[in-house]
Amino acid sequence: MSQSLSRRSLLGKLSATLAGVLAAPAARTAKAAVQKVFVSSGAPKDYDPTKHKWVMAIDVNRCIGCGMCAEACKKENHVPEGPFYRTWIERYTITKPKPDSDGARGETIVDCPNGGMHGFPEPPVPKDQIQHSFFVPKLCNLCEHSPCVQVCPVGATFDAPDGAVLIDPKYCIGCGFCIQACPYGCRFLSPVTKTAEKCTLCYHRITRGLKPACVEVCPTQTRVFGDLKTAAPDDPIRQFYQNNRVQALKPHLGTEPRLFYAGIDKEVR
Amino acid sequence: MRAKVPPQVVRLLLLLVGIVGSYLTARYFLTPPSFRQYGWYRGEALIEMRARDKMYAGRKACEECHSDQVQKLAKHEHKNLACEGCHGPGDAHAQNPDVHIDKSSYAACLRCHEANPARPKWHKQIVVKTHYAGSKCTECHVPHAPSEVP
Repeated sequence: MSQSLSRRSLLGKLSATLAGVLAAPAARTAKAAVQKVFVSSGAPKDYDPTKHKWVMAIDVNRCIGCGMCAEACKKENHVPEGPFYRTWIERYTITKPKPDSDGARGETIVDCPNGGMHGFPEPPVPKDQIQHSFFVPKLCNLCEHSPCVQVCPVGATFDAPDGAVLIDPKYCIGCGFCIQACPYGCRFLSPVTKTAEKCTLCYHRITRGLKPACVEVCPTQTRVFGDLKTAAPDDPIRQFYQNNRVQALKPHLGTEPRLFYAGIDKEVR
Repeated sequence: MRAKVPPQVVRLLLLLVGIVGSYLTARYFLTPPSFRQYGWYRGEALIEMRARDKMYAGRKACEECHSDQVQKLAKHEHKNLACEGCHGPGDAHAQNPDVHIDKSSYAACLRCHEANPARPKWHKQIVVKTHYAGSKCTECHVPHAPSEVP
C-alpha cells in the first residue's frame, strides 16, 4: 500500500485534509457572520405562534365613526404622515331613489376623509335625501388564501401560524406587487422605509397579552378580537359568531377572509 | 481498453459541478437559520415583530394606579370606554408617572356625540347649535359619570 503511494499523491492528500480541517471552522464562522444579519437581538421567546389563532370581527351596527381606531393605529404603529392607513373608516351613504325612478335604492356614496381619523363632516348629500347611512371600519381581511402572499417574489410576506399576515421588512424589496394584489386595499408602500406595510393585528401587543390598539380604544366594542384556539364559549369573539349573521367582503374572489362583518349592506365592497 | 470520455463532455460535467457547487455554497451561507421554521419565510421575523415598543398601555395598566377612577367609571354609561381612548396613548406615562400625557391628545365629547346621520340611532347624539350655547360640556356633564350633575 505504502509502495503504491507516490510522494506526489501523499502530499496532495495531506494538503487537502489540512485545507478541509482549516476550512470547516472558517466556513462555520463565516456562515455565522453572514446569518447574524438575519437574527434579531434578545427578544422574548416565551410565545409559541402555533398555539394561537387570532381573529377580529366587526359589528357595523355599533360603529359611531369616531375614528379613534384609525388614530390609535397611526400612533401605535408609527404609520407615516399622509394618506397611509393600516385601518380606516369608510362612510357609506345610500341615497333615496330619484322620485321618477322605480328603483329600491339610490346611488351609493363612499367617503373617507383622512381615513376617518378626525371624524366625519356633514353628510355628502342633504339629510332628507339619505335613505340610510353607516360606517364601515376596514383593515386587513386576514385571508385564508392571501393574494398578497402568493404574489410576493421574495418570500417577504407570509401567513403567520397564529393568523396574522405579516411582512418581513428585512426581506421586502418594495416591488409593490402585494399592494396591487390585495383586493381590499390594505397595503401601502411606506415612504419612510420604502417597504410594503400593513396591519399586523398589532403583533407586538397581542403577543404580550394586550388587545390591538384599535380594539383597545374602540368605545362601542364594534371591533371584537379573540383567539380561536383558546376562546371560552362566553368569549366576546364566540358570542359574536353566535349572535350575528356574518358576512365577508368580496367573497366571490375566493380569498376566504377570516375577518367577518355583521350588519353590512350589499353595497359594501 | 477503457472507453475514453470525450473532452467536451468532461468540460460540461466540470461546468455543471461548478454551477451546482457555487449554488450550494451560496445557499449554505445566505439562508437565514430560521428560514422554513414555520414556512417559506424567516421565522425570526416573528420575534423581531414582537420586540417593537408599544404606545398604548392598556386599561389594566391604568387601573394599577387609578383604580378609583376606573371604579367610578364602571358605574356609569362610559363603563366600557378605554382610558386611553379619551386621554391619549399612555405607555410612556405608565412606565414613568413623571411623564405626563399630553393634554392636546385628549379626545373631546363631540367626537362621539355630535349628531351625524350615519351614526346608529341607539347612540346619544346632540346638535351643538340647539343643545347648548356655552362652550364647555363639563359645565353640565361629568365625563367619568355622564348621568351625574357636577
